[in-house]
Amino acid sequence: MLWKDNYKLGVPSIDAQHKELFRRVESFLQVLRSEERWEDKIPKIDETLEFMKGYVVDHFRDEEEYQRSIGYPGYEAHKQKHTGMVDYVLEVTKQYEQSNNNEQLMQQFGGRLLAWLINHVAAEDQRIADYARKKG
Amino acid sequence: MTDKLYNAFVDATHNVLNLMLNIADISDRPADDFKCDEEVDISIGIVGDLTGEVIYRFPVSTSISIVNIMSGMEVKEVDVFVTSAISEIANIISGNVLTAISSDSDMKCDILPPVKKSKLDEDEEYEMKTSCCITTTIGEICLEIRLNRGA
Repeated sequence: MLWKDNYKLGVPSIDAQHKELFRRVESFLQVLRSEERWEDKIPKIDETLEFMKGYVVDHFRDEEEYQRSIGYPGYEAHKQKHTGMVDYVLEVTKQYEQSNNNEQLMQQFGGRLLAWLINHVAAEDQRIADYARKKG
Repeated sequence: MTDKLYNAFVDATHNVLNLMLNIADISDRPADDFKCDEEVDISIGIVGDLTGEVIYRFPVSTSISIVNIMSGMEVKEVDVFVTSAISEIANIISGNVLTAISSDSDMKCDILPPVKKSKLDEDEEYEMKTSCCITTTIGEICLEIRLNRGA
């Protein structure tokens, strides 16, 4: 399972969103890496891209709102990382549509998404939790 | 400065592997003698007050183990997916180093997107040139640091 309990920040609403994000990414990767024909995977891939475009934006907004509410000093830098990821998802989606569902492009996206998400939640988001704990 | 960079890259690699892969048992040594039959080389370009590149040399077996741990799936060979995942790790480590350096000094640098290298160029001279081998329970990773002070 991609999600690990030590990724929890201790903020129930954000933790629930992270868990859902991991669940969706895991299911996306299972389809992406399965041995089915690429044509048969396309509907699930399309569904995930649509989900990512909406859910990631909503989740990042909620997380940024939480950071502001606790006065997190790394807010601006963290927000830039969110913006970078949203831009990347939108750019890949555009290229994928223009390339008529190119598989290599999606494999590349899947690999980067996997590493980015784990680092972001396991390392960068944990700094928010550390700050909130210290602040009390 | 070369030692400072060496230590910064070792520390950042240690932290990233620890947090992302839950690998705690990590050691390092200078790696002029790093040899590997099959490897994936990822270059991260650096621009700004420092210019040049850091090349991450991932042996194939280490690359596969990293992605297996991250994904929880069994990956058998290095393909676009694996290359992209380890490229992002190189990107994350390099970004963390430059953030640490800029907060400790007034040096400002940016990183360029990861590029897969097919050949390691050995001819060019650099003001700061060093390499380190990070040893972990899933294999080794070699970092070649090749930088000049920016103009």
